[in-house]
Amino acid sequence: MTPILETKDVVVRFGVLQAVSRASIEVIEGRVTGLIGPNGAGKTTCFNVITGLQEPTSGKVLFEGKDITGKNPYKRARLGIARTFQKLEVFGSLSARENILVAAEQRKTWDRSGFSPAAVCDEILEKTGLSDVSEFMVGTLPTGTARLVELARALASNPRVLLLDEPSSGLNEEETAEMATLLRTFVAEGLAVLLVEHDMSFVMGTCEYIHVLDFGTIIASGTPSEVQANSAVQAAYLGTETVEEAS
Amino acid sequence: MRFKLNSRLISAAVVGLILAFVINKNWGSASFLDSKNISTFLVMGVALGGIYAITAGGLVVTYATTGIFNFAHAAIGCFLAFFYWQVTVQWHVPTLLGIFITLGIVAPLIGIGLDRLIMRRLRDAALVVQLMVTVGLMLTFMGITLTIWSPKTGRTLDHFYQQSKGVELGSVIATWHRIITVIIALVVAVALRWLLYRTRLGISMRAVVDSRSLAGLTGAKPSIISGASWALGCMTAGLAGILIAPETGLVVENLALIIIVAAAAAAIAQLKSIPMAFIGGLIIGLATSFSTTFLSFGTDWSYAGEAIPCVILFIALLFLPQARLETGKVRLTKRTERLTKPWEAGLGGVVLIVIVGAWANGWIPWFSGTTFGERSSVWLGRGAGFLVFGLIMLSLVPLIGWAGQVSFANFAIAGIGAVLFSHFGGQNGDPIGIVLVMLVCAPLGLAIALPALRLKGLYLALATMAFAEFTDKIIIRHPSMLDPSNSGILYKPLKIFGFSISTDTVDRKAFVMFLIITFALLFFMLEMLRRSRWARRWIAMSDSPAASATIGVNLTTTKMVVFMLSGAMAGFAGCMLGLQTGALRVDSFPMFVGLPIVLLLAVQGVRYPIAAFMGALGLASFPAISELFGNPAWLTQLALIGPGIAAIAMAYRPEGAVFYTGRDLAGMLPWRQDAREEKALLEAKVRAENIDKDEINDLGLTRPFTADKVSQLDRILDVTDDLDEHPMVPREVMS
Repeated sequence: MTPILETKDVVVRFGVLQAVSRASIEVIEGRVTGLIGPNGAGKTTCFNVITGLQEPTSGKVLFEGKDITGKNPYKRARLGIARTFQKLEVFGSLSARENILVAAEQRKTWDRSGFSPAAVCDEILEKTGLSDVSEFMVGTLPTGTARLVELARALASNPRVLLLDEPSSGLNEEETAEMATLLRTFVAEGLAVLLVEHDMSFVMGTCEYIHVLDFGTIIASGTPSEVQANSAVQAAYLGTETVEEAS
Repeated sequence: MRFKLNSRLISAAVVGLILAFVINKNWGSASFLDSKNISTFLVMGVALGGIYAITAGGLVVTYATTGIFNFAHAAIGCFLAFFYWQVTVQWHVPTLLGIFITLGIVAPLIGIGLDRLIMRRLRDAALVVQLMVTVGLMLTFMGITLTIWSPKTGRTLDHFYQQSKGVELGSVIATWHRIITVIIALVVAVALRWLLYRTRLGISMRAVVDSRSLAGLTGAKPSIISGASWALGCMTAGLAGILIAPETGLVVENLALIIIVAAAAAAIAQLKSIPMAFIGGLIIGLATSFSTTFLSFGTDWSYAGEAIPCVILFIALLFLPQARLETGKVRLTKRTERLTKPWEAGLGGVVLIVIVGAWANGWIPWFSGTTFGERSSVWLGRGAGFLVFGLIMLSLVPLIGWAGQVSFANFAIAGIGAVLFSHFGGQNGDPIGIVLVMLVCAPLGLAIALPALRLKGLYLALATMAFAEFTDKIIIRHPSMLDPSNSGILYKPLKIFGFSISTDTVDRKAFVMFLIITFALLFFMLEMLRRSRWARRWIAMSDSPAASATIGVNLTTTKMVVFMLSGAMAGFAGCMLGLQTGALRVDSFPMFVGLPIVLLLAVQGVRYPIAAFMGALGLASFPAISELFGNPAWLTQLALIGPGIAAIAMAYRPEGAVFYTGRDLAGMLPWRQDAREEKALLEAKVRAENIDKDEINDLGLTRPFTADKVSQLDRILDVTDDLDEHPMVPREVMS
């Protein structure tokens, strides 16, 4: 299967520090791809390169086989790349509803399918279970709910690839389980998801394919069981422990 | 990368050609080949550049270590220069001792005081708040200086060693003052370098710039560092003030305006490099000296020389690298508010018209013994003026309040609008002229912002302030804009739908009514705009630019639209300003006059259209207060100090008065049950926080287990169960 999104030998250098070195990641439609690695491995930097917030020193980002490396972030969004952030980037002084509405209205500028932003907004509020808090300013919502708002906002632009940066951080166990269920429904609808996550049981339970990043380099790629069995991963990421013990 | 380099080269070539053209066209009589001219140019340029370098270096040190750009930098320097004059000239203290008292004692005290009382609270504040507070500080220092040392008495500060002749360089004499200046600049440069790279304090200061939290962990004391850097900033500002005052004269406006010079040099330094700040200062000094030595701008552009720092600032902005979209900087304010409904906005507009109408008709008599409550012609005129300022504030609500783009240029745009209106139809009372002015001012608003669009917000504030100064010195003073010989009334009463709206100075009632009706209409329009997708997009962009971009918002065009809207609204306000003033003067639009307008809007709450009305009332309150006290000498500068102090108070109350009082006021409206509930909730929370926790812990041990105590516990635990059904407490205890 050809990947909808891939990075090829992406290198990001901040001064002398090489944050990402020759990272190649593939994201395929209809499945959840995981991107894991210890703190500071370069996961978020990879996300920034894919969404255009960070210009790579070298390497390419391909969307449906086309080179989008030099494109502006907003143009990438129009192609169908949406993301959430590790540290909340909600529109805190807008209501939850308005957060989603902004994205839906923005989609109107490139998507001519004649949808109604308000209807899309209601539908997503329903789907993410945010209807009850839709009129509250997002700044007043608890972190877990605000994360859902971010996710809902990303969905409102009707993406084909969804990049989630630590979606379970700040969520309790129950909310994490809900998030996992939500992700499965998206993927069933044909969305491609790329996930950065520290919660190992969450990653192993939802991802079908995993890239492991360490010091900016992809040290392993494969299915969860392959990755778990990989000795390089165990050494670099988990020490000598197995994945089950660590999570 | 290749393309970017080329685009920079092209800009450089264009700027170079324009400069060459301007220089060629305005070349004076002095020959460039004459060694005497060149020596004059260099001696003056280097001395001036040295002073600019000192003040810019201090500004950059403070900004780099504290993250706060101090607009009051030059105003503090101005205050210290006056203080130095007081000590040495009035009190006859020897020069060196005077310098020690001023720079060694008073300046650091001011710096440490500012740090303790104000600046520490601003560390994590929004950019808007940081800017408003330091601009407020600038006006306050100017006001205080003008109050203590009345501008009616002329003062001069001698050059150092004024009597001795100086040193002959070629055929030019370099005065000792200038030689000392250059030496001091060099010493300061070396000392700053030594301080930052060789001392423990300096190394901690640099560490703080990189990462405040990390520096704290390694044992650097952030409080000492920020105190030291503010003290250092004030010392350099004062030193520059003392050195430059003999050259420019002890005039508050001139000395405070050096902030534009310092800002331009700081922009060249990208706000972080101290050596570049020194080079920037030197460039500006040399450019200024070049223009006074070789150029002659003629009567049409007689003040062009004073606008050189503004132009250099604009050029510097063109060559700055694009700002990255940063993440992880989102500030969440616990604000709860709901959108205003259309009928509420309509009602609000009507209420405004009724209030002002009742006042203009003299139906609200109060404050007997003063004139401003009554319908005196003076106060009707002032009232009209403050309403016009309110219109300018309205134009800032979408720009600053929603899109988060801090601009100090709208008063200048209004000034240009007023002048244009006297050409485009205002002279005949033709309302079409208003439309034309708005059509010109919309792209003008955009053009000002253009160099700063791709940069971070602070540069926009600098660029707009420089533009305001540029407008005052260059645009409005050109005879084809405003003919200085034509001192008559420039406008005829506006004729709309067969009505002629009199602007007669004796009875301005009709004009005041016209203004409040247009104000109410614009207010309503803004409230509706807030409900639209445009306002949503602007607020989203302001809250998180990175997230906006990743949902497909083109940040550049989104900003452009809001600048055009704001420009058009400011242009409209300008037309009204023209009608209100009647006869404009070339000096009607100094940069400092526009600042209180921005500040008082921010003090009221820059996000809310109604704050424009409250802000106009705020402006009106200062002459009213002064009148109440019988206009004493110590209140003459209240129009500067009042807005200044109000803005400084934002360090403590950053969201603006409307935000803090809005909930209470909304709760008074019969249909706002939601506001009452929310207030009750908030009060319960405050009560719960105030309950002594120990008292609850001891419950049932040393204190009786009563219903009262249990309800306290409920509040603390945020349990909203009905008390009657409390499972923990037997019914007999409950009753």
